[in-house]
Amino acid sequence: MKAPAEGTLRGIATFLASFGVGVATYIAIADSGGGSPVCIAGGHGCQTVAESSYSHLLGVNVAIFGIIGYVVLLACALLRGDGARMVGFVVALVGFGYSVYLTYLELFTIDAICQWCVASAVLMTLLFVTNATRMLAYAGAKR
Amino acid sequence: MSGRRDREARREERLREDEQAGTAERRQRLIKLGSAAGFLALAVLAVVLVVSQSQKGGDASNIVDTQAVNQLLDGIPQNGMTLGKPSAKVTLLEFGDLQCPVCKGYSEEVLPGVIEGQVQNGEAKIDFRNFTIIGPESTPAGAAAIAAGEQGRGWNFVELFYRNQGAEDSGYVTDAFLTAIAKGAGVPNVASWNADRKSKRVLSEVAATTAEAEQLGFSGTPSFAIKGPGTSGTETIGTPGSVGDLESAISGAE
Repeated sequence: MKAPAEGTLRGIATFLASFGVGVATYIAIADSGGGSPVCIAGGHGCQTVAESSYSHLLGVNVAIFGIIGYVVLLACALLRGDGARMVGFVVALVGFGYSVYLTYLELFTIDAICQWCVASAVLMTLLFVTNATRMLAYAGAKR
Repeated sequence: MSGRRDREARREERLREDEQAGTAERRQRLIKLGSAAGFLALAVLAVVLVVSQSQKGGDASNIVDTQAVNQLLDGIPQNGMTLGKPSAKVTLLEFGDLQCPVCKGYSEEVLPGVIEGQVQNGEAKIDFRNFTIIGPESTPAGAAAIAAGEQGRGWNFVELFYRNQGAEDSGYVTDAFLTAIAKGAGVPNVASWNADRKSKRVLSEVAATTAEAEQLGFSGTPSFAIKGPGTSGTETIGTPGSVGDLESAISGAE
């Protein structure tokens, strides 16, 4: 199967990463005030997840790492060349791996689902697919 | 003329082929490098996660999972250290040490299945009893749980303590930590709880249940005993390894 044009992949990645920055920023802001994100569909899932011991990594809210990751992915999407392809792939792979881990925790350890975390996991999964395709199809190609 | 054109065409083709081969080689190298970097980054992340999780707990200023505990125990009657409807035919006796990491794991992984099932539907009740085997900090922790139980929040205290447990006898079971757990567990009268947990009556109860566990032949935590219409008095069942094993033991005692 032929991969989409690199410009198309970069456009998709730009859109997804921008959305991701928005979602991660909302979670970080909601948590910084001592509260938690509001689940749009109702329920206490977001509060339970935000209040769990897994919401922080090395004392830092994981949403902050999310913002950093999405900003790097946005930059990689906007830039050309192998450096951007490689960094985009590595960051998206790590983000995807961490999203899988967090989703597993939500389902089997915390026993609560936060819609904002699910939204972020979906965005990160799509970004991984986009960046992996870009890397595999266009690594080494001229700008 | 024609020979020279042919030679030039062949030369251009050779250059094109060399360039394509170079690009393909560079592409392969980049993909290998990217994959190696990606998996190395994932390995680093895994190490950070393991280290981060092992350092958690025992922090009075950061009590976590109150909402999860409230959700688990919501609507289930509590009487002293007993969780479940008083009319439940089967009583499961859990002998645990609040400092014990295995008890913490059991409380998070196995017990919720039974609490949400046979305890919630009135088949069984669970009676938590202190079996203080880890060290000196186990006794004040256990006494604080009993004092919380006297105000109807014993199981909230136990579950919340486990979820915020620190390293064994590391000095984290301070007044501040216990008070933070009590507040998080929803103990209504913290001043009264504070006096009760230091009383001889409560401290002797911790010693009595520890002696009871030893009499039953237990040497580790968590250990379980069960009594119901289907048992001859109190029968020891050790440490059932899964939710299914615990459910079968309860069904067998009905």
